[in-house]
Amino acid sequence: MQRAAKCALRLDLSRAFCLSRSGTVVVMQKSLPPPRDEEEKAMLDSMLRVDHAGEYGANRIYAGQMAVLSRTRTGPLIQYMWDQEKMHLEKFNEILGEHRVRPTLLLPLWNIAGFALGMILTRIACLLAFEGTMSCTVAVEESISEHYNSQIQTLMEAEPERYTELLQVIKEFCDDEKKNRDTGLEHDAESVPGYLLLKTVIQVDCKAAIYILQRI
Amino acid sequence: MIFGIKEKSIILTNFDVLFAIATNIHVRLKTGFVLQVAVQGTVSLQCSNVRRGFHRAALLRLASDSKSDTSVPPPSYHEVHTAGESSSSSAQGESSEDAQPNTSFQDQSGEHGEDYETEEQLQARILTAALEFVPQHGWTVEAIAAAAETLGLSSASTGMFNNGAGDLVLHFVAQCNAQLAETLAEQNNQVQLGQAEAKKTAEFLKDAVETRLRMLIPYIDTWPQAMSILLLPHNIPDSLKHLSTMVDDIWYYAGDRSTDVNWYTRRAALTGIYNTTELVMVQDSSPDFEETWAFLDNRIKDVVNMANTAKQVQATGEAVVQGLMGAAITVTTQKMIQFPERNILSTKRLLGLLF
Repeated sequence: MQRAAKCALRLDLSRAFCLSRSGTVVVMQKSLPPPRDEEEKAMLDSMLRVDHAGEYGANRIYAGQMAVLSRTRTGPLIQYMWDQEKMHLEKFNEILGEHRVRPTLLLPLWNIAGFALGMILTRIACLLAFEGTMSCTVAVEESISEHYNSQIQTLMEAEPERYTELLQVIKEFCDDEKKNRDTGLEHDAESVPGYLLLKTVIQVDCKAAIYILQRI
Repeated sequence: MIFGIKEKSIILTNFDVLFAIATNIHVRLKTGFVLQVAVQGTVSLQCSNVRRGFHRAALLRLASDSKSDTSVPPPSYHEVHTAGESSSSSAQGESSEDAQPNTSFQDQSGEHGEDYETEEQLQARILTAALEFVPQHGWTVEAIAAAAETLGLSSASTGMFNNGAGDLVLHFVAQCNAQLAETLAEQNNQVQLGQAEAKKTAEFLKDAVETRLRMLIPYIDTWPQAMSILLLPHNIPDSLKHLSTMVDDIWYYAGDRSTDVNWYTRRAALTGIYNTTELVMVQDSSPDFEETWAFLDNRIKDVVNMANTAKQVQATGEAVVQGLMGAAITVTTQKMIQFPERNILSTKRLLGLLF
């Protein structure tokens, strides 16, 4: 019990104040309730860490895709989706800073891996199908929305009233990802031969990534 | 299940038998001998509860032995709860009113939470009091025993601390860190209210580390012993946790909100600074540890310089890469102009791959 009290005290002390770059103090809206014990803090920490790393990875995957597709007809569309992912990443950066969540140690690895994944898979898809295919996008968005769905489920099972703001944020992002996926599908992403293989590869990748990220 | 001492013998469980034997031995011996030997062999969780209850019984009885010879029944949870707060004499007064010794075990499951909190508070009180005896006895169990005696408990209560001196050192470290966190929060509050100027990062770090290290000054002579205790293998996880929490606190109040590799590099740098400065401090003999603060200042300057240099290197590197790409485009365009009959498509493909 004392540990819970100490934990709560530590977070209360940090409160909603944080220093912005100019040195002025900014009062921020808290997206999470202060955790009531170590277990809850650990659970929320790992959840947010995975989400943050996921958005970071998605950012890099889109960068990789853009490296290949920027001159094609789908270039502007991918750019638009990439900007959306950048906004998601910004939001998660805020939440991590506000709640003193440790980011994952593997971020530099994610940087390279995401870019490589995006670039290579899109190149393969382009060689197999028409120029500017969005199969990689659709597969990635599918995995991400599945992941967000499972997180929403976990939070709802735990205590929906407690995590309303966080649930709102995750639901919003999940809807954005689904919309991107539908847009990709509209552009005949599934017409790539071996699309199922591509999708499976990406899904396995994402599951492995999530497993590792929850721990490191 | 009714439990009684000496007179009654009814159906007993293993634990009750153990308690009976131990209590009987105590009553017969009537010495200050620590009786936890009787319960050393027990393994189960319930036995440890019994042991705790037994410890308290032992404490009360050994302390009150000088006062009266009558054997009192084992304390109920009401008494146990008050034992931590009041002196043994008043507890004894309450225990004599008790007519239901068996309630201690029957209520065990229900009041377990309350009892656990009280024990932690009691331990915290003893350890805080023990800090006063550290200059005299060092970071040892003797300091804890001396403190227990000043609080009116017997020196046998050191049996509560499985880790002995390690518990004392970790308690002190946790206390210092909590104090530091409070100070930093207070300063942050003042800056937020506009009553104080926000410090630059280097100055903030210097002040924070200095504040934290100054808390060691009263114990600086015995601090090497404490450091070696913290390095014992079974203490390393806890001491690392305390260290990382402290470093995280300092950076948080310094305004660090990074969510990339910088999070790790900054904390690693500060951990290194703190540890080396601590080592310098224990062998510093200058007045008011001037040399230590000068060392700290230099180390922080080094880290800040390194960070700036890294930024410059990165910027230079990016500029160089852009320059090279520009040169590549110029050269290939030149070639295309010079040799139009060559396959222009292949050149375009090359450019497409590059960018």
